[in-house]
Amino acid sequence: MATDLAKDLAKDLAKDLAKDLAKDLEDVFEVTRDPIDKSALEARVLTGAAGAIVTFDGVVRNQTKGRPVISLHYEAYPPMAVREMRRIGQEIREQWPQVDRIGMIHRFGELQISESSIVIVVTSPHRKAAFAACQYAIDRLKQTVPVWKKEIFADGEAWVEGSMPDLATDSASTNS
Amino acid sequence: MRVNVLFFGACREAASGTGELALELADPATVETAWRDLLGRYPDLTRFEGAVLFALNEEYARREAPLAAGDTLAVFPPVSGG
Repeated sequence: MATDLAKDLAKDLAKDLAKDLAKDLEDVFEVTRDPIDKSALEARVLTGAAGAIVTFDGVVRNQTKGRPVISLHYEAYPPMAVREMRRIGQEIREQWPQVDRIGMIHRFGELQISESSIVIVVTSPHRKAAFAACQYAIDRLKQTVPVWKKEIFADGEAWVEGSMPDLATDSASTNS
Repeated sequence: MRVNVLFFGACREAASGTGELALELADPATVETAWRDLLGRYPDLTRFEGAVLFALNEEYARREAPLAAGDTLAVFPPVSGG
């Protein structure tokens, strides 16, 4: 009987391990020219283990410091953008191991007012981790994921200037 | 050695709109060597001197990072996505 119990325990452990390994594979990290289907992304990352699903939807605003914006032009370095998103996913799992799944899709190209440029979905058994991880994801994305936006005004256009990220040197040091 | 250079965002425009170019450099070379060469070709890039980022084969890289033939070096300003 004791051996049966040990067997069951081992089986459960193996199952948990397999589930952990599968987690990253089921996350979503994408860049696309197409409009983002928020509900579809939520459906892709929602599992029965989730008790909370937190979605951040970044949309195009119609003005910058009072100057009317007509549209936003996003440029991306797609393969590196996906790599950096995946890295953010790893950072989230280190800080909030209870997070179930992560989905991030960044759109590029020409976007109109109120269209979504970025959608991030985080699910977890309880809300706190999902809220915190989702906020972390968008803050980090704005520092490290290689995407640039240009504001198109009625009378001109201007690239939005980002600030130098901390991670640029951090990740470079792990590189060399 | 030959490396492939990619420009993005405002850096692409400063490099005369060139998105991609093959750069021939003397061996050994670093990211910094390539950057100096690019500044010579596209003087408009000079205004990014204090705020430019580099990626080597899709990973952020420092200026001291050595280049190898066939590497892809991306040159871009701080990101502004989201």
